[in-house]
Amino acid sequence: MEMSYQLRTLRKKREVDSIIRDTIDKLLVLRFGRSSNPLCLQLDDILSKSAREVSKFATIALVDIDSEDIQVYVKYFDITLIPSTVFFFNAHHMKMDSGSADHTKWVGAFHEKQDFIDVVEAIYRGAMKGKLIVSCPLPPEQIPKFQLLYKDV
Amino acid sequence: MATLADSFLADLDELSDNEAELLDDNVDAENMEEDVDGDMADIETLNYDDLDSVSKLQTTQRYIDIIQKVEDALEKGSDMSNHGIVLEDDPEYQLIVDCNALSVDIENEIVIIHNFIRDKYRLKFPELESLVHHPIDYARVVKKIGNETDLTLVDLEGLLPSAIIMVVSVTASTTSGKPLPEEVLQKTIDACDRALALDSAKKKVLDFVESRMGYIAPNLSAIVGSAVAAKLMGTAGGLSALAKMPACNVQLLGAKKKNLAGFSTATSQFRVGYLEQTEVFQSTPPSLRMRACRLLAAKSTLVARVDSIRGDPTGKTGRTFREEVRKKIEKWQEPPPAKQPKPLPVPDSEPKKKRGGRRLRKMKERYAITDMRKLANRMQFGVPEESSLGYGMLGQAGSGKLRVSVAQSKLAAKVAKKFKEKYSGSSGVTSGLTSSLAFTPVQGIELSNPQAHANQLGSGTQSTYFSEIGTFSKIKRT
Repeated sequence: MEMSYQLRTLRKKREVDSIIRDTIDKLLVLRFGRSSNPLCLQLDDILSKSAREVSKFATIALVDIDSEDIQVYVKYFDITLIPSTVFFFNAHHMKMDSGSADHTKWVGAFHEKQDFIDVVEAIYRGAMKGKLIVSCPLPPEQIPKFQLLYKDV
Repeated sequence: MATLADSFLADLDELSDNEAELLDDNVDAENMEEDVDGDMADIETLNYDDLDSVSKLQTTQRYIDIIQKVEDALEKGSDMSNHGIVLEDDPEYQLIVDCNALSVDIENEIVIIHNFIRDKYRLKFPELESLVHHPIDYARVVKKIGNETDLTLVDLEGLLPSAIIMVVSVTASTTSGKPLPEEVLQKTIDACDRALALDSAKKKVLDFVESRMGYIAPNLSAIVGSAVAAKLMGTAGGLSALAKMPACNVQLLGAKKKNLAGFSTATSQFRVGYLEQTEVFQSTPPSLRMRACRLLAAKSTLVARVDSIRGDPTGKTGRTFREEVRKKIEKWQEPPPAKQPKPLPVPDSEPKKKRGGRRLRKMKERYAITDMRKLANRMQFGVPEESSLGYGMLGQAGSGKLRVSVAQSKLAAKVAKKFKEKYSGSSGVTSGLTSSLAFTPVQGIELSNPQAHANQLGSGTQSTYFSEIGTFSKIKRT
């Protein structure tokens, strides 16, 4: 065990490919974003703090969307807002119904560490039961309303 | 042994008249080769009255030679010009080996003289030997006190720790000892002088060895410092003797027997010898000193072995070990690593705890108390029970029921089922002894199914006396 969890940052398509393929029986959490963004930093802080706690059933990695090699994935997952978090289980994309328009990813940061852990546990439970989509365990006020805010501004 | 004793007696006769000059250079040519061990062995057999008869190290040619050489060498200062030649051929190395042997001999001699002084001085102050253990300290104190009865007049400051001084003076005020006769006292004081002289000679020898330590044992002196290395070598009796010694003994080399005057041994550095004078030991916090001492002893033994075969004349091994020891002690003082939060368990990894359920409910039903039993346990208020059999309200008038119906007990059903299974041969497997061939006198061979018959006979309650298929057992046709 390492002393502290330094989250892995992926900058190559090959790395992303292999981590999706090789994470077996564990939830893979991929954060798409850039570390210069303050909201990304907030999310990264939560991720790195909870990485050890969820280490038995989840792997967390960061994806740098500014890398040239990654653009394929940015387009593929339709990353328009950062940070966006995408979940995988045994190389399957896991969706989550959080009441927002986009079920394929979680947009924005989490309010606190426990929120993130709850989401990860819910998706893991669903994935173990063979589901491809789970509903968000968080109360609606703790889900960031990104799309709406964006349109208002 | 007898010859030794004879020679001692001869010495005694010879020297009985000049016992005043004890420290002179009276070389006793006959006893030059006498071994100190021989003296040790004969201590008990001799009723010694004369110091020279027990202690003759100072008069041996070997002692005088070595001391002379050491003094010369110390005056000359160290010259390291003879680095090139093989160590064993170097006269200085030979001298150092001799010095080591001599320092062991001197140590033994001091013990002998200490015994002598004790035996003499016991008459004056019997308790002193239990209060002051160290031979040299004892000799100093004896010399200082002499025949003085009032210890307040004697200043022991600097000879002993103040706590011991107090104990000594208190004990002296109640001692049963009597002043010694002048002649005996003089002998004792002389013995003390001799012990002190031997001690200073030993110091001189050690000084010399110490000054040559960097050449003889470069690795050992790199770890413990040349002074301690010299003392260790001197006490052990040479580098090869030190190399043969286990580490636990090296740790105790030079350990003094301390008088704690009733204090605990927990805090006093009780079992530490010369190693406590090392710089590493002194710079270690007291709580870790014992561990540090063990570590030092272990490493010193290792490098003593390296040195004894001249494995590393540069002293690099010793410095490496020293650095290792220092780092280790530093590491001991680090706080333990902070506790990491435990990872959460995998969700749903454990099956849920069940409370009761279908099976438990059925089992409770099976063993539940029946209505009949309930009634039998019940009593009517204010009415004495008629029979002593204890039927309670069972079958009493006024209960509103003509007859208590016995419900089909679940347990009984289960037992019946079990019984049936047991006796009807369960799951269709028939015994090897059962045959479907029946011989009848009328028809010859008849085939029948023995299982069918068994089922017909039934089991459990059905195959009883009252069962429908049962026949009379005695009256039977044909």
